[in-house]
Amino acid sequence: MSFDWPFFWHYLFRPSGAYLHGLMLTVVLSVVAQTLGTILGLFAALGRMSRLTPLRLVVRGYIWIMRGTPLLVQIVFIYTGLAAGGIFRFQDISLGFMTIPGNVQAGLLALSLNEAAYMAEIIRAGIASVDHGQTEAAKSLGMTYGQLMRRIVLPQAARFVIPPLGNEFNAMLKNTTLVSVIGVPELLLTTETLTSATFRVFELYSVVALYYLTLTTIWGWVQARIEAKFGQSTAQAEAVAGFGERLFGRALFGAARSKA
Amino acid sequence: MMAQAENILGSIGGLPEPTGDEVVQAIDVYKNFGRLEVLKGVSLTVRRGEVVVVIGPSGSGKTTFVRCINHLEKIQGGRIFVNGHMIGYREARGRLVEDRGRNIARQRREIGMVFQRFNLFHHKTALGNVIEAPIQVLGMKRDEAVALGRDLLARVGLASKAEAYPAQLSGGQQQRVAIARALAMKPKLMLFDEPTSALDPEMIGEVLEVMRELAREGMTMIVVSHEMGFAREVADRVVMMDDGQILEEGPPARLFGQPAHKRTQAFLSKIL
Repeated sequence: MSFDWPFFWHYLFRPSGAYLHGLMLTVVLSVVAQTLGTILGLFAALGRMSRLTPLRLVVRGYIWIMRGTPLLVQIVFIYTGLAAGGIFRFQDISLGFMTIPGNVQAGLLALSLNEAAYMAEIIRAGIASVDHGQTEAAKSLGMTYGQLMRRIVLPQAARFVIPPLGNEFNAMLKNTTLVSVIGVPELLLTTETLTSATFRVFELYSVVALYYLTLTTIWGWVQARIEAKFGQSTAQAEAVAGFGERLFGRALFGAARSKA
Repeated sequence: MMAQAENILGSIGGLPEPTGDEVVQAIDVYKNFGRLEVLKGVSLTVRRGEVVVVIGPSGSGKTTFVRCINHLEKIQGGRIFVNGHMIGYREARGRLVEDRGRNIARQRREIGMVFQRFNLFHHKTALGNVIEAPIQVLGMKRDEAVALGRDLLARVGLASKAEAYPAQLSGGQQQRVAIARALAMKPKLMLFDEPTSALDPEMIGEVLEVMRELAREGMTMIVVSHEMGFAREVADRVVMMDDGQILEEGPPARLFGQPAHKRTQAFLSKIL
């Protein structure tokens, strides 16, 4: 076996600037795609449960396609496929202080759209777990659909949604590797670039594996804390509501409180 | 038993006055679930301050009828007016069209409803349950709502339970919170859908006590119930439903004493 230990330790503990940039990109992509995917998934879940049949069918079709095709295919389709077909080409967007390259936008879009389909099913199950009687009570008090969702149903669905949401984020951290195929210099592509310069595949892939393992381990710890905090006990029901409001209420519906 | 159940409506500024004399006017209401006809032409008028108790065998449509009054159920025919407003529908070129959600929500504000299974918001305290709609729907200031909520809870005998979550309350306590929650909206009509059917026998009394007090203070109420003692004592009118229709109605003494229909007799003999 040939394993260059000094090389391994060097790249593990003294990563280059490019490598750290790749790490940051991985984390940012994961967080943003998971956030967008969750928000989009919420609306998809509501659409999936809508009384309007056309809307329901569209959302079902969307979920069917997104869950039924490989994420890798979706990524290449959105970035390279659409451009090759002359339909849409992602351009770099300059925000003044930073530039978001086209392939990062496409990667982010693909990850978010894909995640939304999975989150839609999770959130739908969460909403279904809140007993319908509370919805009727809220209606009978004169609450609108938006009010009863935001104030009554979603805060309680959140408790149900949080554990699988944590698992989704764990998967997301690893799925970001797929956007390397469209040239997004996240952690994996950075590793590949280094590999082609040094031919140290064994060492560098050990390093990158450990980086991902560290990310998912840290997340696992955070997830355990969140779940412990928002457990099932009645005494903590208030805290659950607070979190649900922060997760779904304030973030999504902003200050749209009781204008009536 | 409950000395606190005294002047409940004082906390919401007295009895909310309905606009007209006829608080509820249901005209020839038809309702079906798919091919099953549940209501077959039900007409009922409830006047201001009246307490109407609806009785009848299970499957007679009494719960469905009450749920139609605040449009928790759609109807296929007829019209229902509450305080002079048609509920759930508007007329467009002679046809009934379901109203917009926002308008329906607005109409429901003045109709309180109490459910068989309480349906309290599990993630909110008793007080949280009571103040939710006043704040969100009526735009009441939080301090004001809290004061109102505590007052209402005290008047249904739950002053010490304001901070308790539904799971920490008995069925009877939950149902009294549910009544306080409905009253916080200052409703002009209260609907009760079998409010004591899910309760252990020893808790029925405390809920009926609150309802009795509400009736005494002049609240207009429609109560679906199997509590014949309550009906006899509190109801101005008892309505007997069977097979999706109103079989007969009248003052409790008359209806219980000399029921006109054989089926009423049969039903009463089983339940009394």
